[in-house]
Amino acid sequence: MRIFLLFLLCAALASCNHFEFSPNQTFDKISLKDVNATNLKRLGNGADDDTVTFVLTGDSQKSRDETVKFCKAVNAIKGIDFVVLAGDITEFGVLKEMLWISRTLEDLHAPYVAVIGNHDETARGKETFQHMFGELNYSFIYGGVKFVCHDSNSREYNFNGQVPNIPWLKNELKPSPGIKGFVGISHVPVNSEDFDSKLIKDYTTTLAQTPGFLASLNAHTHNYNLFYPDDSGIPYVITSAMANKEFLVVQIVNNKISFERVYF
Amino acid sequence: MREYIFKFRFVFLLLVASSAKVSAQSFKFLIPDQAIVQYAGSIGYFSGGVGYELFGNKKGNLDLLYGFVPGSKGGVLNIATAKFGYKPWAIKLKEWGKIYPFNPAIFATYTFHKELSFKFPSGQYAHDYYYWSEALRPHLAFSSEIELDAKKLLKNTGIRAIGLYIEANTNDFYLINYLQNTSALTVTDIFQLGIGMRVKF
Repeated sequence: MRIFLLFLLCAALASCNHFEFSPNQTFDKISLKDVNATNLKRLGNGADDDTVTFVLTGDSQKSRDETVKFCKAVNAIKGIDFVVLAGDITEFGVLKEMLWISRTLEDLHAPYVAVIGNHDETARGKETFQHMFGELNYSFIYGGVKFVCHDSNSREYNFNGQVPNIPWLKNELKPSPGIKGFVGISHVPVNSEDFDSKLIKDYTTTLAQTPGFLASLNAHTHNYNLFYPDDSGIPYVITSAMANKEFLVVQIVNNKISFERVYF
Repeated sequence: MREYIFKFRFVFLLLVASSAKVSAQSFKFLIPDQAIVQYAGSIGYFSGGVGYELFGNKKGNLDLLYGFVPGSKGGVLNIATAKFGYKPWAIKLKEWGKIYPFNPAIFATYTFHKELSFKFPSGQYAHDYYYWSEALRPHLAFSSEIELDAKKLLKNTGIRAIGLYIEANTNDFYLINYLQNTSALTVTDIFQLGIGMRVKF
């Protein structure tokens, strides 16, 4: 009996981090903060990098085991500058799921950034995401290319006409010295029912009118797809879900973009 | 008309009450057997409430608790909990107490917060778009409790015993994640702890 009690005490003390107040708490004593900003700092601006190579994946919800294999597969590829997780990091939008996935992604040699998906916006997911990863709309520049990551989960806002945020996008896509190209990254693709139909035209036109806009990268549908919603020639590419054990390696050389499907 | 309905209800209640032989005795079951305070355990930073001992053998327990998570701890959340527990085994410790080594329980929490809905709005989402409730959460728990006999220690206080417990719980979200990822997640990932005290009258 004494041994049993001792065991219980040890288990309790060893797992002090396990005292949870609610699955819906937006942070706890040990949860991570500003993961995107920290990783982007590590990435740097890639001023000397003339070959921008990165991995696009998404929909890691409920696929922790696959994420472990994903990390191994990505680490085996040489020259990956960074990894983008294009939304639906979680299934239920709770803190623990975000912590579990980031624990696995820490194994990546390259820094990663997360973009919010519709599942991540359920419950208190928005607040939790903001606390742990950062802003829902943000951008970064690497190797002379500006990556514009944004929230396109219109249904979660009941199609209020403000998501995706077109004025914000227009401002981010303004030409600026030192930026040769632009890439848009968001979770819900423009051809989905979950994208605000009132905004499709404005959205695609905004991208088409941006000089040097290379591609729109998305996830959400769980299956690879390449489509052209207008005649601008801009490719809209959807990556497979983590569960399908497939990701995309995207390469930008001389402001030309190419995609390779990789299976693991 | 409204008044008439009210009167009717009142008469109806009286009838029900009198048929149940109105006396203090018959409502005695409403008086709780225990007062409970708990730290963590997924039902609040701190929570408090009452407990009822169930069944003839008193091995069952129904706890009704209210918990609070302040903004500084990842809230603000208000949480109502109804917990049904069962103590299948009791180990006597001389004359000063008992140990209930392994007590399974199920509980439901309802979290009050503007971002948490009982049901996803049907106008916004097709049926089955999301299959769960954000506010209502089913949990599965196991606890160990040590019960100290208070009759000798705390004389004339009306306190029968004091129970100290530690509880591990999980919920549907965590179980679904675990069952689909048994190598990347462990049982200790999905079980969360709480400690509490029951004052038994």
